[in-house]
Amino acid sequence: MAILRSATLMVVKKLKIGLVCPYGWDTPGGVQNHVRDLAEFLLSAGHDVSVLAPAMGEAKLPAYVVNAGKPISIPYNGAVARVLFGPIAFARVRHWIAEGDFDLLHLHEPAIPSISLLACWAADGPMVGTFHAAAKHQKVIYAIGPILEPAIEKLSARIAVSEAARLTLTNHLDTDAVVIPNGIYAKRYANGVRQEKWTGNTIGFIGRFEEPRKGLQVLVDALPMIARFAPDVKVLIAGPGDSEDVKKFIDPQLLHRFEFLGRISEEDKADFMSSLAIYVAPNTGGESFGIILAEALAGGACVVASDIPAFVSLLGGGEFGALFASGDSNDLARVVIDLLRDEKKRMQLSRVGKAHAQIFDWDVVAEQIFSIYEMAMVGGDRIKLASGTRSWNRFLSRDEG
Amino acid sequence: MKTTLAIALILLSFLWYLSYLATRLDRLHHRVETSWANLDGLLQRRAAIALEIAHSEFADPASSLLLTSAAYQAREARIQDRSAAETALSGALALLVIDGQSHANAAEQSLLEQLTALTAKIRIAIAIHTDAVSSTQMVRKKIAIRTFRLAGTAPLPVTYEFESDAL
Repeated sequence: MAILRSATLMVVKKLKIGLVCPYGWDTPGGVQNHVRDLAEFLLSAGHDVSVLAPAMGEAKLPAYVVNAGKPISIPYNGAVARVLFGPIAFARVRHWIAEGDFDLLHLHEPAIPSISLLACWAADGPMVGTFHAAAKHQKVIYAIGPILEPAIEKLSARIAVSEAARLTLTNHLDTDAVVIPNGIYAKRYANGVRQEKWTGNTIGFIGRFEEPRKGLQVLVDALPMIARFAPDVKVLIAGPGDSEDVKKFIDPQLLHRFEFLGRISEEDKADFMSSLAIYVAPNTGGESFGIILAEALAGGACVVASDIPAFVSLLGGGEFGALFASGDSNDLARVVIDLLRDEKKRMQLSRVGKAHAQIFDWDVVAEQIFSIYEMAMVGGDRIKLASGTRSWNRFLSRDEG
Repeated sequence: MKTTLAIALILLSFLWYLSYLATRLDRLHHRVETSWANLDGLLQRRAAIALEIAHSEFADPASSLLLTSAAYQAREARIQDRSAAETALSGALALLVIDGQSHANAAEQSLLEQLTALTAKIRIAIAIHTDAVSSTQMVRKKIAIRTFRLAGTAPLPVTYEFESDAL
């Protein structure tokens, strides 16, 4: 027993960790950001980290990223996913595993057709998988479940980024997962400075507003009602995209209430969140965690969000931010008007929200992830190529030895 | 000729499938063992901390007695009684911790903090172990595995009912 105890305590040493990102590294996305932040956190903690990811070109890749090849665009889960598979990619994945001599692999989204799944097939040893998506296409999952099962059960431990993602796993793949939220650098958002230009009766929105599932349309439809109660209301929209396209759909009389800020920097984001009266996330779906809400809370914003499962759980069922019926502009208008009238409630929500956001800080999140790593590595195995461990090979080598 | 070839091919692919299933099962058994080793290690550490708490001034003689005997029972328990013994230890710890949180000195406070951190890990370890056990049980129900006795002499892993919410 003493041996086992020292085995769990021993892992303070430097580890060689391999992370696999399934989506194109050079396209923006939640999973990519998560993998990047995690890799950088582990590196700064003194570990040796290699990230395998598809990428369009070598030019702008950080030193720790290994290019697995050019991603292909496929429609997946209601959006276009840039993924990578095929025999050449599989050979590269095997090569990366063989060369890497890893203590542990951390595979992101091993249930989508990309290199994380390939790595799960190819490797044997301590593997941790993180599931980000909350899929709603049940029939598809039922159909692919039997294919995925043998791969997924190789993972020593599974992490889901939200309760919604965990439910997808338990319902469709019959396996449980530990919920560890996505990380944010909470301190970067904590000290935003109030900017005069963004204060007053302001409603903020950040995201790729051209995508329908981000729900800007719901906010646009709610504005006439809100403007009736709060004539000086302003909607500030930040994020990449063509504002001219969106402006066509806005009532010309209300157009002057909208201001498009374009893409804003991380520092500006902190100022933005602390200056706003209300931050609105009207997403209609396709969201499994809602990192932007965590950032908004950390920045001290009073948050109003649609009641999709990911947001409900992130906001503690309404404790850390107000909720409205998803897609219902009347309900959004009602909630926003109530809050604009009640400054005390707004203050109170932003205060409890900011305190709650600390659980998403990388210091907390990375420690939780690392303790899962420790548990996965208890056997003392390292990562090997799976073909080396087929039972007949082992029989043969045993006979020879 | 053709039929012989076809039969040979089918037989070969069937044999391949059996070997594939055996590998899969072998891997699952390995997962059950390592996840149990992990959980066992954590539980042992918990028992050690419980003893330390019992021997500190923080515990009164009666709760010290209760805690010491529960910790020893958890350490000595045979595998069949393990679950019950660990649950008893959880109960004993909960009694003391809820009661005495307010008047603990710095050293004892750090013990209690270690205990809380350990409890969180134990919860996760239990989830990981139960998951490995249930996947193994599921795969072992497959007809091919039962008819060809691919599990060999390995005992069917049993689910342990831990009352993790006691802490």
